[in-house]
Amino acid sequence: MKKIFALVFLVFLFAVQFMNAYGIQRFPKPEFESGYVQPETLMPNPRAEVLAIMDIVVLIFCLSVVSWLVIKKRSRNKVFWMSLFALAYFGFYREGCICSIGSIQNVTLALFDTSYFIPLSAIIFFVAPLVYTLFFGRTFCAAVCPFGAIQDLVAFKPQKLGARLNAMLGVIPYVYLGLAVLYAATGTDFIICRYDPFVGIWRVNASFGMFVFGGLLLVSGIFIARPYCRFLCPYGVLLNWTSRFSRKHITITPAECIQCRLCKNSCPYDAIDMPVTGKNPDDKRTMGRKLIFITFLIPVLMLVGGWTGSRLHEQLAGVNGKVKLAKQILNPVSDKNQAETFEMEAFKSAGKQQSQAFAEAADVLHDFYIGGWILGGFIGLVFGGLIAGLLITKHHTDYTPNKGTCLSCVRCVDYCPVKVT
Amino acid sequence: MQNRRDFLNLLCRGTILTGLAATTGVLAYRSVKSGNCELGSSCSNCGKSDNCSLTEAVLYRSTVWQLDPAKCIQCGRCATNCVMTPSAVKATHVFAMCGYCDLCGGYLKPDTKNISTAAENQLCPTSAIKRKFVEDPFYQYTIDEPLCIGCAKCVKGCSAFGNGSLQLQVHHDRCKNCNQCAIARDCPADAYSRVPASKPYLLQGIESKPDDKQIG
Amino acid sequence: MVNIDVIMKQKIIILAALTVLLVLIIFAVKDFFFSKPGNSNPYEFELDKVRTGDTSMAVWAETHQFKTTLEEIHGITTDASGTIYISGKDAVEMLDAEGKETGKFPVEGTAFCIALNQEGNLLLGMLDHIEIWNNAGKQLSRWNSCGSDAVITSIATRGNNVFVADAGQKVVYRYDKKGNLLNKIGLKDPATGVPGFIIPSAYFDLGISNDGNLWVVNPGRHSFEKYTFDGKILTSWGKASMAMEGFCGCCNPSNFAMLNDSLFVTSEKAIERVKIYNADGSFNSIVATPDLFEPGTKGLDLAVDKQNRILVLDPVKLMVHVFEPK
Ligand code: SF4
Ligand code: SF4
Ligand code: SF4
Ligand code: SF4
Repeated sequence: MKKIFALVFLVFLFAVQFMNAYGIQRFPKPEFESGYVQPETLMPNPRAEVLAIMDIVVLIFCLSVVSWLVIKKRSRNKVFWMSLFALAYFGFYREGCICSIGSIQNVTLALFDTSYFIPLSAIIFFVAPLVYTLFFGRTFCAAVCPFGAIQDLVAFKPQKLGARLNAMLGVIPYVYLGLAVLYAATGTDFIICRYDPFVGIWRVNASFGMFVFGGLLLVSGIFIARPYCRFLCPYGVLLNWTSRFSRKHITITPAECIQCRLCKNSCPYDAIDMPVTGKNPDDKRTMGRKLIFITFLIPVLMLVGGWTGSRLHEQLAGVNGKVKLAKQILNPVSDKNQAETFEMEAFKSAGKQQSQAFAEAADVLHDFYIGGWILGGFIGLVFGGLIAGLLITKHHTDYTPNKGTCLSCVRCVDYCPVKVT
Repeated sequence: MQNRRDFLNLLCRGTILTGLAATTGVLAYRSVKSGNCELGSSCSNCGKSDNCSLTEAVLYRSTVWQLDPAKCIQCGRCATNCVMTPSAVKATHVFAMCGYCDLCGGYLKPDTKNISTAAENQLCPTSAIKRKFVEDPFYQYTIDEPLCIGCAKCVKGCSAFGNGSLQLQVHHDRCKNCNQCAIARDCPADAYSRVPASKPYLLQGIESKPDDKQIG
Repeated sequence: MVNIDVIMKQKIIILAALTVLLVLIIFAVKDFFFSKPGNSNPYEFELDKVRTGDTSMAVWAETHQFKTTLEEIHGITTDASGTIYISGKDAVEMLDAEGKETGKFPVEGTAFCIALNQEGNLLLGMLDHIEIWNNAGKQLSRWNSCGSDAVITSIATRGNNVFVADAGQKVVYRYDKKGNLLNKIGLKDPATGVPGFIIPSAYFDLGISNDGNLWVVNPGRHSFEKYTFDGKILTSWGKASMAMEGFCGCCNPSNFAMLNDSLFVTSEKAIERVKIYNADGSFNSIVATPDLFEPGTKGLDLAVDKQNRILVLDPVKLMVHVFEPK
């Protein structure tokens, strides 16, 4: 029954469509007498869809091999070659799209906007590296991510930055992540893609500005190893936190640490935790006081942050196209000599109602108000965490890679004199 | 001590894993299931939803960027804002809609005195449009694809003076299918959207397959 | 000493690298929050410049605007009493010479063109066939369809003859009053010199001059062609040009009307303008310049009433512009 109904409806729809076309619009083309054959309209095909499956296969393959090399083989050399392969495939062949870092936004948008269609490859590129990290540490960063690979290549003279500076700059990725999620969730923009520093390098004929952006980042990367990974990458934040709970993780020494300090300077990313000498760096009393201080501080910071964020929501939303348009409708160009903005021109030619444009902008603003609270609160929390990390030093005996910030590049392993027996 | 640590670790790992699995599940389920198609039996490429639930959507297809020429106001940003130089957006000639006019609004500058192929008469900044005599009084206009920079000048001319057979389209052999198209975010007319890769082109006035009878 | 130097150097390097990093971040933040997309188009096509006409040359002035209540309008004509008839979607409306509505009756479908015959009845072109109605709103007859490809865009009558312009099949039909086809006019024939109509879009007008000949627009050739009622071509004139003296775009003029039986009032699309030409095809004067119409207005149908006012049908603003000499 339902089927018949659907069929009737279908026929009806076709009829309606036909009627529309059957107006003054229907018009025959010129009648050629010289036997002229009309050429086909040029419409080149997009990349074959199966190739998206290939990307996924290559990703899984790389992740598996690199994890195995890191955990079992412990070979810097082989990891390096894998990173070159990833650079060639994901970087120069796929030209940086699709990438795991950007996929954060696809996933966010898909969660918030049900009408957005998320391709399977975007889901896998988001999830797979996190799952592998959960088991083997950040092997994705070691040699699968093309961003990491290209920066690793230029890290000729890495300098030590010191714990404090590292921790402070380490806040930036959190803010970046928060903003990226906010803008993706509101359907405004994909800022990670917008400021992707290396597209200019992957795509040889990209605009000059993008090329300079990536080039400068690489120049600073000569002295600060992997600057994007450590102080910008929003996906790194997620990897950092999953890696802390990883089942296995690279170890510097295959057996017991003999405190020889040889590996101390081997990590270009300052990711080796030094032993904290003294049995108890803080006595119980001060430790307790610090803890209490922090438990009070964090909620306060979150509240302050959230409040500030909500205050700033109009500024944050100012980037959104709908809000921009509404603003322009409210403040039209009064100067007669000045041309109308393209946005206004398009709005007028689309024949949409002003009230509708305002309603849409109001919706977006409301989203940003809530988003502002959440983003602000999140940033407050991050700062609280930063302060806590600086205040509290944990007892620690051996030289070990920091499970969060270690990028599993396997450089340190070669410095350890202890060999498997 | 060590045991408790391990246990906590395991717990957190489990939680994160479950979270990831749930997210994947929800997204995968949605992209198969969701959609607000009215027909529900076969795809008529209605364009109402870019995540329609019909058979081909069941395969996780990929998406590409599509420009709707009906919305475009020919602002010129397609030429300037693409991450590629020259832009991956190009003028596309829908021959089935063309009037083959001698006095072509997309080819000639409006103040042209004598109709000829002289460079100073040509509207296109890169002389990418080729004019060829077919038979009296018809001329065929073809876009020299590599030369076109997607500036939309000819598109504006053709829609103002002619049938609107010159239209901008994203040429998918050149387009990098950026996760976020750099033109889309700056397009004042909101003409860009993500569409299934199986239906990448949208020409105005005719269905994607040119049909002699429906032109306009 | 050496040690301190090394440390200093190291510090400077770190500082420099960090500065580069921060500059990049600041640049991005500034670009994202504080930059506006430029509003200049290096490839601007200045249509507006083309669209402004030299009004100093206009010897006609708009004196009235008559609003219509129809939702879509296509054709206009007038009769000896000064009544204005407007045809459109699903209806025909009548206005008096002052623009007051005097009547309105429904028709089935869209009447794309309208003409009056000697008896005072209305001939309506309904896409593919002709219907005859009296002005009380009663259908008197309905002729056979001209074919499934037909798009009737204009009608003119004189005596026993009814001429119908079919843009779809690029031909003019000559019927008698009863609707019997007498002959076809304008089919391409190198032997008689008939060039054939080039009609890229559905605008194709015709009219009868007082010397008893038929004038047909050949829009694709930007010209007027003069035929005898039997279909013999007599003469033609017209010039393709964006300038005032010529007809612009791919196919123009879209409509015309005869003034004083010897002048041609023409209307164009693309550059929306109404002009007057002498019988020999030389440019006479400007009636209306593009700034009067919405950009993109197509199908400005024309009529001349008994006071020699020019009536311009504006299908976008849904009104009739009335022009009188200055
Ligand atoms: S930190 Fe980010 S950019 Fe660096 S390797 Fe990991 S995912 Fe790639
Ligand atoms: S940016 Fe948008 S409005 Fe401008 S030319 Fe491109 S599609 Fe048209
Ligand atoms: S005018 Fe512009 S869009 Fe048209 S063909 Fe030339 S470069 Fe391409
Ligand atoms: S997706 Fe990228 S390459 Fe394609 S048109 Fe947009 S900016 Fe250009």
